[in-house]
Amino acid sequence: MPNVAEQSSAIRSYYEGLAKGVFRAVTCKACGGYTFPPTGCCEHCASWDVTPVELSGDATLLLASHNISPACHPRFEKIAPYVYGHLRLKEGPIVQGIVLGVKPTPEDLKALFERGPVPVKAETLQMSDLPVIAFRLAG
Amino acid sequence: MRNKLVERAVISGVGCSRFGDLLETPELKGLSIQELMARAVKEALDDAGITGQDVDAVFAGNAMVHSSQVPGTYSQLSKWTGTQFKAGVHFEAQCSTTNVGAAMAAMSVAAGVYDTVLVYGLETTRTKVKGFSPYEREPISHQQTWLWTDMAVNQAYGVPQGYDIFSTYNGLVALGYCRKYGMSIDDFDRSMFELCRTRRLHGSMNPKANIQEKLEDRAAREGFSDPYDYWQSDKHNPFVAWPSRLLSLVTTADGASAMVITRADAAKGAKSQPVELKGFGISYSDLPWYGEDATYWEFDRRAIDAAFDMAGITAADIDYLHTHDCSHISGICTAEATGYLEPGKGLAAARDGRLRFDGDRPMSTHGGRHAFGHAWGASAGTDTYEAVLQMRGQAGPRQIRKTPEISVIHTHGYAMIGTVVVLGSV
Repeated sequence: MPNVAEQSSAIRSYYEGLAKGVFRAVTCKACGGYTFPPTGCCEHCASWDVTPVELSGDATLLLASHNISPACHPRFEKIAPYVYGHLRLKEGPIVQGIVLGVKPTPEDLKALFERGPVPVKAETLQMSDLPVIAFRLAG
Repeated sequence: MRNKLVERAVISGVGCSRFGDLLETPELKGLSIQELMARAVKEALDDAGITGQDVDAVFAGNAMVHSSQVPGTYSQLSKWTGTQFKAGVHFEAQCSTTNVGAAMAAMSVAAGVYDTVLVYGLETTRTKVKGFSPYEREPISHQQTWLWTDMAVNQAYGVPQGYDIFSTYNGLVALGYCRKYGMSIDDFDRSMFELCRTRRLHGSMNPKANIQEKLEDRAAREGFSDPYDYWQSDKHNPFVAWPSRLLSLVTTADGASAMVITRADAAKGAKSQPVELKGFGISYSDLPWYGEDATYWEFDRRAIDAAFDMAGITAADIDYLHTHDCSHISGICTAEATGYLEPGKGLAAARDGRLRFDGDRPMSTHGGRHAFGHAWGASAGTDTYEAVLQMRGQAGPRQIRKTPEISVIHTHGYAMIGTVVVLGSV
């Protein structure tokens, strides 16, 4: 079998970054917009001229609910139910992801909702087969 | 984009199976998926007064091939529907499939390529092929259904990192709605109860619906004198994504739907009253489906605007509306986006009974995704089926008082393709 060079993959790079606590995106050289998680094309202006960038991990949690249990995907069976949030990253992109630091109960989620938007910090949640992004309530 | 149909296209026939479970539902139990599909096609062709040999092309929709196992649907179903030797394609737009098919059919008719097109959609979300049997089926587990369904959702980053339809489509949208309009969670819960009552009322009047039992009757059957106590019972109606409860969601179903689309002039003197497909709009988006405002979905805005522009209508012209209601709160947000309901007032309209078949803003009179049930690629066709019945005055006990002249049907194809179809009386 010939020695074939492996092509770069934005997806593989993203998860390899997550494993090291690095949150990878791309920015567009044409419009300056962020695409997160990364692809090879700007989601805002469709330019192919994008370049890798690392994000701060700082974000604001806008809304928080919880997933169904048992989870839709077997990867998350052990942690379901978990809090799932709607967030704005410091750099601008809107994302959704697992939220840590609050219980998935109606009482705790209602108290969080009444507080309004709160700061969170991204971290890596290591599942059995894949590192995934999660956001922990600050403070 | 000119956004015009250069020749008028009409729906000349519609068909729809009972929705339910091929293993246990009356009228469905024991059917093969070939026979299930053929029933809907036969009804549509009979309604149009034609046979399968009178159509020029067949657009065959099926989204979750994992459970149906009939890719190449056009040919596999051809001898069951009398459509051998026609032009055909298997396509999917997930839960918008049949109405995207209607749009493609209207385009092909308006372009002068085909005179008559048969569109059908087939889906089994409750049962799957058992082993390698050609006719035996078995139930699908909840997790398996969503694993297969979520294959239509961002598989690079969304699903692998904990994406959950119940929070993304329900709980987070509900919270965004409450925050934007200053609604309390208690008022939201009561409104969702009333909306479910309306959907179940409509289902109780529809012999093809998956659930034909009113919410009040179900509560009484479970021993509750007050149906709202039943609604708030964790045992019977748990939070699936707080503050959204189980009974504000879709119910899965096996089912099929079909429609015949033809040139307007070719439908003159047809067996049944044709309904014009006046316009459509289609727009899709990857995750996230909304920005900071969880009630505003840009792709829906674009689909609505395109459809209204093509049809030459405004919100004031709408007599009947269906919006995709896998998630009841999302369906209300879309209804507000169309202008049929006032922004921030949709849940109040539900509480006041205005969305009932006998209200002044009738919606989803077949029962919607909750009561009628949801067979992904077949469901948009059932929404169109219901609108056509209403516009012909053939909806029986759930007939809208003033027969609709303009109907708007919105569907979400996972994940997500916003599809809007405008129908007009001929």
